[in-house]
Amino acid sequence: MVPLIQAKSISKTYPGGTLANDRVDLTVMPGEVHAVIGENGAGKSTLMKILFGVEQPDSGELIYDGKPVGFAKPREAIDAGIGMVFQHFSLVPSFSVYENVVLGAEPRTGIRFDREKAIAEVEALSEKYRLKVDPLPPVGRIPVGQQQRVEILKALYRNARVLILDEPTAVLAPQEVEELFVAVRSLVAQGKTVIFIAHKLPEVLEISDRITVMRGGRTVGEVLSRDVDEHGLATMMVGREVTLRVDRAKDEGPVSLEVKGLHIHGESGAPICQDLNLRVRKGEILGLVGVEGNGQSELIEAVAGLRSVADGAIYVDGKDLLPLDVKARRNIGLASIPEDRIARGLAVGASVAENMVATRLDDERFVRRGLLDLKAIRAQAEQLIGRFSVKVGSPASAIGTLSGGNMQKVVVARELAEQPKLLLVNQPTRGVDLGATEFIWKSITGARDGGAAVLLCSADLGELLALSDRLVVFYRGRIVAAFVNSDELTPETLGRYMLGIETQSPETVRAALK
Amino acid sequence: MSLRTDPRFKAAGKEIGRAVAALAVALLVTFVVVLLTSQDPIKAFGTLLTAPFSSMRTTGLWIDEVAKLTLTGLAFALVFQARQFSMGVQGQVYVGALFATFIALSPLGATLLALPLGILVAMLAGAAYGFIPGYAKARFGANEIVSSLMLNYLAIKVVNYLIRAHLAPTGTGQLMTEKFPAQSIFPALLPNTRFDLGIVIAVLSVAAVWFLLYRTRWGLKLRLVGHNARFAEYAGIPSSLTMISAMTAAGAIGGLLGAVYVHGRAFGRLAIDFDGNLAFEGILVAIVARDRPLVVPIVALFYGYLRQGAQLMAIRSDVPSEVISIVQAIIILLVASSFTIPGKAFWVRLFRFGPARTVEAAGK
Ligand SMILES: Nc1ncnc2c1ncn2[C@@H]1O[C@H](COP(=O)(O)OP(=O)(O)O)[C@@H](O)[C@H]1O
Ligand SMILES: [Mg+2]
Repeated sequence: MVPLIQAKSISKTYPGGTLANDRVDLTVMPGEVHAVIGENGAGKSTLMKILFGVEQPDSGELIYDGKPVGFAKPREAIDAGIGMVFQHFSLVPSFSVYENVVLGAEPRTGIRFDREKAIAEVEALSEKYRLKVDPLPPVGRIPVGQQQRVEILKALYRNARVLILDEPTAVLAPQEVEELFVAVRSLVAQGKTVIFIAHKLPEVLEISDRITVMRGGRTVGEVLSRDVDEHGLATMMVGREVTLRVDRAKDEGPVSLEVKGLHIHGESGAPICQDLNLRVRKGEILGLVGVEGNGQSELIEAVAGLRSVADGAIYVDGKDLLPLDVKARRNIGLASIPEDRIARGLAVGASVAENMVATRLDDERFVRRGLLDLKAIRAQAEQLIGRFSVKVGSPASAIGTLSGGNMQKVVVARELAEQPKLLLVNQPTRGVDLGATEFIWKSITGARDGGAAVLLCSADLGELLALSDRLVVFYRGRIVAAFVNSDELTPETLGRYMLGIETQSPETVRAALK
Repeated sequence: MSLRTDPRFKAAGKEIGRAVAALAVALLVTFVVVLLTSQDPIKAFGTLLTAPFSSMRTTGLWIDEVAKLTLTGLAFALVFQARQFSMGVQGQVYVGALFATFIALSPLGATLLALPLGILVAMLAGAAYGFIPGYAKARFGANEIVSSLMLNYLAIKVVNYLIRAHLAPTGTGQLMTEKFPAQSIFPALLPNTRFDLGIVIAVLSVAAVWFLLYRTRWGLKLRLVGHNARFAEYAGIPSSLTMISAMTAAGAIGGLLGAVYVHGRAFGRLAIDFDGNLAFEGILVAIVARDRPLVVPIVALFYGYLRQGAQLMAIRSDVPSEVISIVQAIIILLVASSFTIPGKAFWVRLFRFGPARTVEAAGK
């Protein structure tokens, strides 16, 4: 069979001097799902933009359908039958779904826009490719998952034969990912070719036929999905052995964190958490499982001192936390990796060094008689940058210049600079690539082994199952199940409790929490 | 790390380029306006650009204005760095001036204590006046823009009333107080000019504000709260307290400017509407300086020069001094909108006369 798309030795240097693609090769066969994987910054999007005519290669050859081509702009690529859905959508929020789909290629009768025909065509397309979406509401009002379908329909409406999806799953919830995969399979069944960019390996293995792996701007290999496993792919992608397996806690310490009968109310007075009871031992990670919005994050905020409590008590080593403010809690050994690093965890405009010292402004080492010891602050930053291998020009660089993974490492470095007694962790690896994920997981288990009691919340069940020693499931603000982690515990089991289909008896919960 | 590659210097270079470009555009537009309205545009424009240097006296006027613009610019820069939009400098200037006047007109005014005491009292009064909108915001959630603007009007009206009704010499109908005793007026650094203690105070204040912001814990807290108040809360930095203290400190600088006004050789007394709205122009100075204290005096130097040039142009030619508003508006527009200086691609496109490649699908 002849390849549909062939990129040969493509190179691209951005005006800033970044060599984003370095003699990259890509071969896509017709009718396949071809995944392109690599860590953030590997050059995947750049390669796709070159295929789509958004960027021009400095050198190299592009062969499409047997003929050498060069797309000077997206229009030409679209006319040739290539469609692309970007990481950031380009839809008009105030326009309806069908208007967005046909925009620029509207069906007309005479010079009039034929509304009925447009709606009918959009409905037919959405039926045919199993991309369910209502054509009438404005795009701004539908969820992200559906907006993505609108983008795909837009490409299909323009008769795309090849569909490029740049990190489509990054914005989707797990169920939506499943629905996307159904659509992708139906596209391929009807003769389309799909190029699928991602960096989450399980989903790549599930959906793709063939995989091209990129690293540091180069292609490091092409493999058939059925020939590889997650571990092999991860090693290719990161360029070294990655172990996303972490050891369980070795021995159980005494109870450190104790939450008793905790009630939390929202701003309107509606209950968010009700009668929470849990205990976390020293050197143990307790995973908080639950669909987002069921009270896990609020519990973490309440323990951190960022949210008021309606009733109940929180003790750390027998000391009542509730009367203490954030600073006092930090002073007795609380550390916290917050859910949203940009909104909460960092001052993006300030420097790396300033961010790293921000929680230690009462520490004699860095501040004496109200004066900053800039030398000590810089030295501390340099030491943390080294210890947590943060990639950054200098401690004086602004946080805003770092990649997501490195920003997160700055947060982790600051919070784990000293061994905490109680560590709160919320979404530690959201939007972070594999290499950094591995590192952050190791840091968290390191703090655990140093004797910290850890509360971990994550939207990624894989992460919770990999790290937690025990798990509790939240549903509508209550703890409905508790488990001691084991290899038998599956995401499916947890899922039934997360959705409220099943509930354990209070005795079972208590027994698992001892 | 060399100067060329240090990101901070690169950024600074870009900023300076931007400010200079904004100034050039503003002057160009001003020139067109002068060209259209004046009988003798070359002379008028020439006056605008050179007049401050025409004599020792005019240079003194310029420097006096630079000192005042620097102080108000510093006060604004301080609250802006904490991301508080208190507009209260003008009110603080008025209460500061009023309290300095009380000292000057009291028996103490004729003693050696007059100046230090006047300055101190003015700063305390300004600080108290700056504290109010901060406290109101922290306590009742009152918007600081609104409350500080109201406090400005209040201060101006009260001071003007007090001058008219009580402080002006009775029966004269004057709109100002008596001249202060010599001990209550800044000594001249150069005889017969307005070179006085004001510029020294401004320079010292620049150093003090810079030190507070970048070398003390208070300054770091203030900047962190300004960057991201939610982060500050999470890190254990009390953001309300920091915010109030920033507004109070800025108030002290406002009060200090009030003292510099009434003790300065330009006045040596308290007069109605004495600041001619200069206190407000600190907003422009702070915005153009991107709230950086060390840049504030540089901006004040340029802007003060243009202001002085415009005033002299109004006296010596047929163009009214209001043209300075054009300069002001254009600079604010350009700097605040963070326009970028057109790069290579722009010029290539412009001179190719054809549609260059455009990226239609906005993606990253
Ligand atoms: N428009 C651009 N200008 C300059 N550098 C860019 C641009 N887009 C991407 N880069 C850089 O090129 C490299 C590859 O980026 P990208 O192709 O987006 O990677 P990926 O999609 O694999 O995460 C990165 O180092 C990125 O910072
Ligand atoms: Mg990308």
